[in-house]
Amino acid sequence: MKPTPLLTLLGGVTLGAVVLALSVHATGGNDEPPVPAAAPTATAVAGASAAPSPSPTQTPINATWAGRLTAGTLAISVQDGVAVAYLCDGAAIEAWLQGTAAGGRLDLAGRAGETLSGTFGEGQASGQIKIDDQVLPFTVTAVTAPSGLYRAAATVRGAQVDGGWIVLADGTQVGLVTVDGIAQPAPPLDTATGRVTVDGDVLTPTRPRELS
Amino acid sequence: MTTRNEITTDRTVDEGAGRTGGTSQLTLLGVPFLIGATVAVTLGVYGGLHEPTGVAVNVGGFSSPQTVKVWLATGVAVLAVTQLLSALSMWGKLGSLAPSWAALVHRWSGRLAFLLAVPVAIHCLYALGFATYDLRVVAHGLLGCFFFGAFTVKMLALPKPGLPGWALPVLGGTVFTALIALWFTSSFWYFTTIGVTL
Repeated sequence: MKPTPLLTLLGGVTLGAVVLALSVHATGGNDEPPVPAAAPTATAVAGASAAPSPSPTQTPINATWAGRLTAGTLAISVQDGVAVAYLCDGAAIEAWLQGTAAGGRLDLAGRAGETLSGTFGEGQASGQIKIDDQVLPFTVTAVTAPSGLYRAAATVRGAQVDGGWIVLADGTQVGLVTVDGIAQPAPPLDTATGRVTVDGDVLTPTRPRELS
Repeated sequence: MTTRNEITTDRTVDEGAGRTGGTSQLTLLGVPFLIGATVAVTLGVYGGLHEPTGVAVNVGGFSSPQTVKVWLATGVAVLAVTQLLSALSMWGKLGSLAPSWAALVHRWSGRLAFLLAVPVAIHCLYALGFATYDLRVVAHGLLGCFFFGAFTVKMLALPKPGLPGWALPVLGGTVFTALIALWFTSSFWYFTTIGVTL
């Protein structure tokens, strides 16, 4: 009887390890079909279940907006109130920001103190992004799959690979891949298969708007 | 220490508890506290250092991993209220309402709550990380680390004979309070901001 609390703890630790392992598997080097195929169902279910319910303050907008700014290319993805933004010049500058999208307002922050604030609607998002004490106004327009924001985080042969890609409405791509802390322009992402080859390894970046 | 013991233990059910002196009480609770603190700090450091992926495993039947978390956490909160009521009953605080199965309910609702909470925490840590973009998420992150630390202390202290009488009510109350605060900073926020969706 007495040692059962310890068994409870160990059970939780084991379950945690399993869930973590499944999560690692879900993000790194998976052979799943390209994510865009799953996207319509995910958004349709969210929309269908939200619409008839009278209690929400507003129908959630799940969308991705992207466009060029003077300092680089910006993409913002919103899924169920959580916003992820990526600013990248394709050469050296990149910033990931995360935050909330509620009541038509965006409020995001990055690790190095970058902030993004603004408003969003179905067609466009606008506001200002502050990075390195520079304030950049932005207006970006909605894009649909396969355009949008892609992210990869994986460990390949002991090296930590982090990549970000923005695919604009006209198909142009901007991205950076950081291998063990060293940034390099990202190799092009095949939007048909959702795959990219980084240093000889095939990765399948995910789209934050469908998955996070 | 002895005086304090006498004052505090007079309210407890187990009158025989906690009388072997200050040093052994310190060791009794000291080791669980150290391990619990290590758990809390480890979770926080991992959340801070790990680059959030934005992605983790999803559970079928829900529209997104977030709604999974919101509902799992709500299940945990309901079980936590069950925990509070069954504990009050076990300690005779509900008067005559003290069925013999209260302890069984307490034990199993606790286990289930913990097992439901673990996947939520993994998703938070792995996919979202320790974020600081507003007060809610800072509070939520800190409370999350604190909760699992406090729960570890409670579980490790629980089977020890000779605990001071206040130990379990204080530890259990702390775990309960942290959990309810976690629920308010996540699921309640989600329901009131985004809406109630499956």
